[in-house]
Amino acid sequence: MTPTHFVCRWLKLLVTLATLGTATVQAELLVPIGYAGDPAASGWLGAQQGHREAQIQGDFLGQRYTLTPRLSEVSAIVAAVPPAALQALARAHPGVAVLNITVTDDAIRTACQPNLLHVIPSQKMLADARAQWQKAHPDSPAEAKAWHPAFEKYAASQLNKRYTEATGKPMDDVAWAGWAAVKMVSDLVAREQTADPAALLQALRLKLAFDGQKGSDLSFRDNGQLRQPLLLVDKGKLLGEAPVRGVAAVEDLDSLGLVPCAGQP
Amino acid sequence: MKLIFALLLLAASAAHAAPRVFVTNEEGNDVSVIDTEQNKVIATIPVGKRPRGIGVAPDGKEIYVAISGDNAIAVIDPGTLKLVRSFNSGEDPETFAVHPNGNLYISNEENAKASVFNPKTGELVAEIKVGLEPEGVAISPDGSHAIVTSESTNMLHLIAIPSHKTVANILVGARPRAASFSRDGKTAYATSEISGEVKKVDVATGKIIGRAPLADDKAKPKDILPSRDGKRLFVAGGRANRVFVLDEASLAIQHEIPVGNRVWGLALNAAGTRLYTTDGASAQVSVIDTVANKVVATVPVGKMPWGIAIVE
Repeated sequence: MTPTHFVCRWLKLLVTLATLGTATVQAELLVPIGYAGDPAASGWLGAQQGHREAQIQGDFLGQRYTLTPRLSEVSAIVAAVPPAALQALARAHPGVAVLNITVTDDAIRTACQPNLLHVIPSQKMLADARAQWQKAHPDSPAEAKAWHPAFEKYAASQLNKRYTEATGKPMDDVAWAGWAAVKMVSDLVAREQTADPAALLQALRLKLAFDGQKGSDLSFRDNGQLRQPLLLVDKGKLLGEAPVRGVAAVEDLDSLGLVPCAGQP
Repeated sequence: MKLIFALLLLAASAAHAAPRVFVTNEEGNDVSVIDTEQNKVIATIPVGKRPRGIGVAPDGKEIYVAISGDNAIAVIDPGTLKLVRSFNSGEDPETFAVHPNGNLYISNEENAKASVFNPKTGELVAEIKVGLEPEGVAISPDGSHAIVTSESTNMLHLIAIPSHKTVANILVGARPRAASFSRDGKTAYATSEISGEVKKVDVATGKIIGRAPLADDKAKPKDILPSRDGKRLFVAGGRANRVFVLDEASLAIQHEIPVGNRVWGLALNAAGTRLYTTDGASAQVSVIDTVANKVVATVPVGKMPWGIAIVE
């Protein structure tokens, strides 16, 4: 064998091995998720918890999730930014789902930007939950929340325990919303077998059936708001759930804060 | 002569004693024992904190109860109806299945794993990595496969025994709860609580071959069992407060049998003629005639009945 032949053979072997190596890596679906917001706040901790759990599923099913501050070329964006910045973010990334986990303003819900989805409940939803509770329990003051660190039903206690063990902190509304945003994306990635942002945005709007460990099928309304049960709390103590039994049907999640898009009846 | 006759009669009646149904009462921290001839509770056995899953040894000589509050499995003698021992089972055991070789395959709800224990020695035989919040466990009648459902990651994990290698991870509807195998072990069935549906899986390929929504918003189905002839499936409908009877081939609903509130657990007698349900929120067990497809008796038991098993 001439030296050239020898070198050629080795090169061929190396190329084959390299291709095999790449082929194995390519079998995994890469799903980059962007995060806009303060990394010192609880939304980031919640999103990280969601990321850890998404990857547990990903390890079984062949997806590789990343969660970073990079917002370009991502499958979805989780946003913990103020109202004006939130709307600008959605406009800057058309066709990519922007999942709001902090802003509760009602005005943004009626604006109905096509790629802006709200995981955190709106002011009106919280007010309706409070009003339902007050009707059923006139002598029991309460405020409404999306989550509570002592909530135990529907596997909530499992989530609260996992989060607190991982972070050393109790899970608050925004942390739950950050967790839920990442988990709902990963659930749809696994079901739809795609990391394409446009496909995921459509799936989120139309196909989501996610329980958020709150025991109901959570889904997005036309105005982009996640319909969900809420919790009634007084001085840190968990009192009950909304929709409030006796005032509304427990499954009627749209009895809480349903608002139309501006320009629609 | 009379004495011998009396003894023979006694022996005969003991040999033909009616099957007994054992029910775990999650909030009562005890087990109710039902005589199925009288359909009455004949004993209540205190166990430990938060009993849930229950199973019977292959030789029928021991009954196992998962005591999630104590991280243990309690062992009951079905003859004396006494608690004879308990052993540590790993954290928060919720449900388990009994392998034909006697080992218990336990889902540890707080961890993402299933543990295999030898109940005679209390020894941990193996740990199997699964998804988050494992719940339902089922073992094929020939002992060659197990299914573990992971509720939060929405998967059925199909596991080969004895290698304990996962041969398929199947994405199903939201919050899969219980699973069971067909008699020939070729098909598996699972319920998903939040999506309210039943899935049928081909074990050889690990593929979903059938899917049926239960057509009721409130149905948060749990236990699922094939009939003895394999032609029907019984599904506990949770807060739909009824048992659904499905045609196994098409998964079409054939009957809906109203029972008590929050029906989760199911047990079928050997002849397949009686189905027993735990109606958790009604603190009772319903007895269903599977030929007439109706409830023929209800038996008040302890607080929040959860799991149910029959010893014949």
